[in-house]
Amino acid sequence: MIGDRRRADFEATLLRTADERGRDAGAALRRASLWRDALHRFTRNRAAVVAALAFLSMVAYVTLTPWLSSLDPYAVDFSIAYQSPSWDHPFGTDQFGRDLFVRTALGGRVSIGIGFAATIAIMGVGILYGAVSGFVGGWIDNGLMRFLDALYGLPYLPFAIITLAIFGTVNFWTMVVALTIASWFTTARVMRGQILTLKQNDYVRAARAVGARWHRVLFRHLLPNTLGVIIIFVFLELPGVVLGEAFLSFIGLGISPPKASWGTLAQEGYTAYQTYPYIILIPSLAIAWLILSAFFVADGLRDALDPKAKQKAA
Amino acid sequence: MALLEVDDLRTYFKTRAGEVHAVDGVSFTLEERKTLGIVGESGSGKSVTVLSIMGLVQSPGRVVAGSVRFQGQELTTMKDRQLEDLRGDRIGMIFQDPMTSLNPTLTIGTQITETLRRHRDLSRQQARKRAIELLEEVHIPKAASRLDDYPHRYSGGMRQRVMIAIAISCDPKLLIADEPTTALDVTVQAGILDLLEELREEHDMGMIIITHNMGVVAEAADDIAVMYAGQIVEQATALDLFDRPEHPYTEALLGALPTLEGDARHARLTTIPGRPPDLIAPPEACRFAPRCKYAGMDDCNVVAPELREIRPGHWVRSAHPASERVAEALVTS
Repeated sequence: MIGDRRRADFEATLLRTADERGRDAGAALRRASLWRDALHRFTRNRAAVVAALAFLSMVAYVTLTPWLSSLDPYAVDFSIAYQSPSWDHPFGTDQFGRDLFVRTALGGRVSIGIGFAATIAIMGVGILYGAVSGFVGGWIDNGLMRFLDALYGLPYLPFAIITLAIFGTVNFWTMVVALTIASWFTTARVMRGQILTLKQNDYVRAARAVGARWHRVLFRHLLPNTLGVIIIFVFLELPGVVLGEAFLSFIGLGISPPKASWGTLAQEGYTAYQTYPYIILIPSLAIAWLILSAFFVADGLRDALDPKAKQKAA
Repeated sequence: MALLEVDDLRTYFKTRAGEVHAVDGVSFTLEERKTLGIVGESGSGKSVTVLSIMGLVQSPGRVVAGSVRFQGQELTTMKDRQLEDLRGDRIGMIFQDPMTSLNPTLTIGTQITETLRRHRDLSRQQARKRAIELLEEVHIPKAASRLDDYPHRYSGGMRQRVMIAIAISCDPKLLIADEPTTALDVTVQAGILDLLEELREEHDMGMIIITHNMGVVAEAADDIAVMYAGQIVEQATALDLFDRPEHPYTEALLGALPTLEGDARHARLTTIPGRPPDLIAPPEACRFAPRCKYAGMDDCNVVAPELREIRPGHWVRSAHPASERVAEALVTS
């Protein structure tokens, strides 16, 4: 008797789960477009969603604040110098009495702006170099990769310093160029690897079997299939570039006062960090906030765009 | 003039260990509207043979000798550019694994129309219309509504049908099918073979089917070439080959087929002992000798047998073809 009941329970469970599975499968089919599927996986990853919101809120803060605030970020007023955070000045003021809430946002515009611009440039150069290298193959590939190895051997800082020295001036765009030159290598390598792997795919051979020329193979069959990796890499490169900019500005090679970037703000705070620690803390936290959220977004994107990789790891 | 004449084709691959003689002197002729089946185990050089014909052998592989004449045109010396124009237009090809032969990021429609527009001067609409006709021709139900689907919505059999539609889209005179059914379920296999036969007749195509499945060629091919270690070891009409196989290797292959007759459920399948030879330094002697039941009594391990015509239309590369063994047995007894 008991056995029978158990069995009936078991069968009911089986039927129910089968039913649930059936419904799930149906739902999965309806939204089966590649990107919608990825979006679905991304939104189920709580850490990634929180990170994305954190990232967007930071971007919103730096873009909107200077427009919305009535305070002049360049107005010098020694009567309110070194004020601690308060309702009037949420992040306090610096040694010239300038409001740090607005200045941090302004600095963020520069830092994030340079970050995005340099990341896009890095992607452009890296994808081109890596794709050519992997696609053409042979001795050209060998030569391009050995050249890259040589560049890899040189440290990051001299590249940026030399580039900036060649330009003679430091502004937004020279910073972008300097940071791009200093950090496009990894993207190129990863792209080459991607192209090499994709080149082995049956559909590439099938395309060649119906007479597709090289440009069709490259632009139709290879590059679109690397898009997922490219998107992930944008969010992996961005933090590095933002940090690089902050670092250069901090040591005085980058954006210089009275213009602000997170690096220069931290540098200004550094001179008085023992008495007024919030001045260095705030831009530092902003940098950390942006970098961490970008990394978590990249992580979530990787899981969303390449679910098989996660299965393999598990 | 034959549709395709392959003469003494040799394709070698350079490796660190030495040069692999993947295809080592293959010759055959395919008449128009005929089907040739190429059979052999993995690594016997079947695929490399047809890739060489198509000019698709990738580095480090290289066609080092021989000629391929398609409709009287020499392909081995042709410029890449011309060969690209030929591929997909006058020669179509189908690959083994339909699951990976379609680009996952492009719709089925795009992949068909791109081939069409590559070789034919068609507008977008015309190409689309033709693509729907092609899908109907390969029996995809509701073709018009499935044109904008991505490949992952198609089953394996349907994807192979799409691959076939792409291959025949420009009305080729020669269709090469490299293991067209190997990756498919048995029930789907028959459908694909029927479809290929139907299309071959409708489009007046010559066809080469590569397979390691004797059943597939028995059904589809007019002539059969059996390959072993980069060479053709036996070639005959399908009927003659199945009725009176001559080469010990062919006999062994046929013996390895499961049968439904007799005590099939309890019988073990016969296997061929040993492994194919190393193709970096293929033996000077008969390449099948180390695995051959009939080798060893004479110079099998010393002299390489030539391909000879043992009776009209039946070629074999062996010192001990079946019919001669019977004769020998009669003499000695």
